[in-house]
Amino acid sequence: MRLAAVDWLFIAWYFVLSIAIGLYYSRKAGQSISEYFVGGRSLPWWLLGTSMVATSFSSDTPLAVTGIVVKDGIAGNWLWWNFMLGGALTILFFAHLWRRAEVVTEVEFIDLRYSGRPARFLRGFKALYLGVPVSCITFGWVTLAMVKIIQTVFGTSGVTAMAICLGLTVFYTTLSGLWGVVATDMLLFGVAMAGSIILSVVSVEKAGGIAALVRSVRAIGAAGGKDYLAVLPPLGQALPLAFFVALFVQWWAVYYPEAEPGGGGWGAQRMLAAKDPRHAVKGTLWFTVANYVVRPWPWILTALAAMALFPGLTAAPQGQMEAAYPRMMAFLPKGIAGIVVASLFAAFMSTIESIVNLSGSYLLNDLYKPFVRKNASERHYVAASRVLVLIVSLLGAGFSFVLGSVRMGWQLVMELSAGIGLVLLLRWYWWRVSAWSEIAALSASAVTATVLKIVPDNPVTRAVGRGLGRLGFAPDPWGVGILVIVAVTTAVWIAVTFLTRPDDEAKLLAFYRKVRPGGAWGPIARLDGRRYRLQAAPFAGWALAVVMIVCLLFGLGRIIFMDWGRGAAYLAAGLACALGLSKIISRIKWEVP
Amino acid sequence: MALGFWGVGAPLGVFGCLFCPTAAERLTVLVLAGLFLAVGALIFRAQK
Repeated sequence: MRLAAVDWLFIAWYFVLSIAIGLYYSRKAGQSISEYFVGGRSLPWWLLGTSMVATSFSSDTPLAVTGIVVKDGIAGNWLWWNFMLGGALTILFFAHLWRRAEVVTEVEFIDLRYSGRPARFLRGFKALYLGVPVSCITFGWVTLAMVKIIQTVFGTSGVTAMAICLGLTVFYTTLSGLWGVVATDMLLFGVAMAGSIILSVVSVEKAGGIAALVRSVRAIGAAGGKDYLAVLPPLGQALPLAFFVALFVQWWAVYYPEAEPGGGGWGAQRMLAAKDPRHAVKGTLWFTVANYVVRPWPWILTALAAMALFPGLTAAPQGQMEAAYPRMMAFLPKGIAGIVVASLFAAFMSTIESIVNLSGSYLLNDLYKPFVRKNASERHYVAASRVLVLIVSLLGAGFSFVLGSVRMGWQLVMELSAGIGLVLLLRWYWWRVSAWSEIAALSASAVTATVLKIVPDNPVTRAVGRGLGRLGFAPDPWGVGILVIVAVTTAVWIAVTFLTRPDDEAKLLAFYRKVRPGGAWGPIARLDGRRYRLQAAPFAGWALAVVMIVCLLFGLGRIIFMDWGRGAAYLAAGLACALGLSKIISRIKWEVP
Repeated sequence: MALGFWGVGAPLGVFGCLFCPTAAERLTVLVLAGLFLAVGALIFRAQK
């Protein structure tokens, strides 16, 4: 693919705009580490929600969704759509608690909630683990995906442009802090979405329009005995275990960057940076809607058009299925191609800037400040933050050279922390959870995942597989593996919780008074003299949020495929749920229980 | 931020008029350009 001069002009102009926005906020970021990492806790909901969705929209996301659709049809997206259940949980049960906690990072929460040496060890360990290997793996896979896109689109000639893009992103992120990151995210998300919408329209037109596209995809499906347009997997004779694991286990059990149970990573960073708890709740709601309703359809349409335009794609290797997305860019007209290329750079930059700012926050706030140099000036810490951000960027860029594939990076992160979700949820609502519980969960999950990696076929997995087979599930090693990891991890951390001493009462009381969680805080609530109960409203809100997202997602799809009646019905149901949810959110006292 | 949105929306609109070969593509690009300009205006108001 060759870009015209006018395309390069647009790309250059886009870079000038994004970098100018980032640099505009650099003076503000230099004031303190609170300004640098949590934007002085002044972000409005629309800015923090958009920044979250911009960050989760990475350059590899459209490719991954294209691969999923070409392989398993639209229903294959339940692999990640299931996280909407956890996302809705975060809106109603965790976003306001994060903001009330008023820590700088997710890792600092450990110091607020737990006491003693185990807490210090856990804080240091998580700062190092999340700040270096996890950040470098994420940085590496995002960069690697972008290199593959560039090579597919331009051949090797685009890699220099990509290196310049990376250098500029790291440059303004190092200077601008979180405010610069979220402000540029606004524009980057707009450009990224515009590019994917334009590409989907051009792709559908090339496939002969929506009606012709539907006919072609149905014909491809009929030949292979699949319905690529179905939004739910076929519930025929053998039940798909992966779908059930995704729907009933994955969203609360698996720690996955961007969909952490109870919020974490860059999501927690933005909730912590909200103006107040209500803005944190509304921002997380906007993120969840944008992430699951607004983003997917342009990619799905492009993937379906690729199936119609490239015969034999459904039988191709996974890499070729994913590469169909950038291949579709060859159909873009002059002048428009530059916008779509800029959109891929936007997706890449929005993720990279958040990763490096976040990892810098872990290393500075949870490692350097408490363990290396206490009581230095704010100026010193901001300067140290900038150096750490730069170091993480260099490490991440280096890691992209040794990472075998995008998929390898995803799997590494998911498998090592596959069972820790429940402890992350319950640490807010059960006083008995301690640092030992988290340490046990992390260790058990990593050990079990490693054992299953080395010996995937063992008596335990065979027995679980047989049991599930008797219940009518089709054989699925991945689903069995997740269930085994979750069961072992949960059993281990609950046992360890009861076998070790609870945290200091003074620490628990201080946490209870500051965060004011409901749930199982009996002894501490009695000490405090005030009891914050879990109300019914958030549970109703959670159910409404999930139904709303599903209805809006399906409704939009039906409308796109010109199924007007059912589309309108879904959208009406979704809007009714939105109305109910809005009433619930406006009635709950998020600031004070 | 508002300038950024206007800075993308304006050329997007011009490019849509000049380079889109079909009506559907032109309409899409022009609607998106309009959205960029509108969001820019909303941000401008919010910042004031």
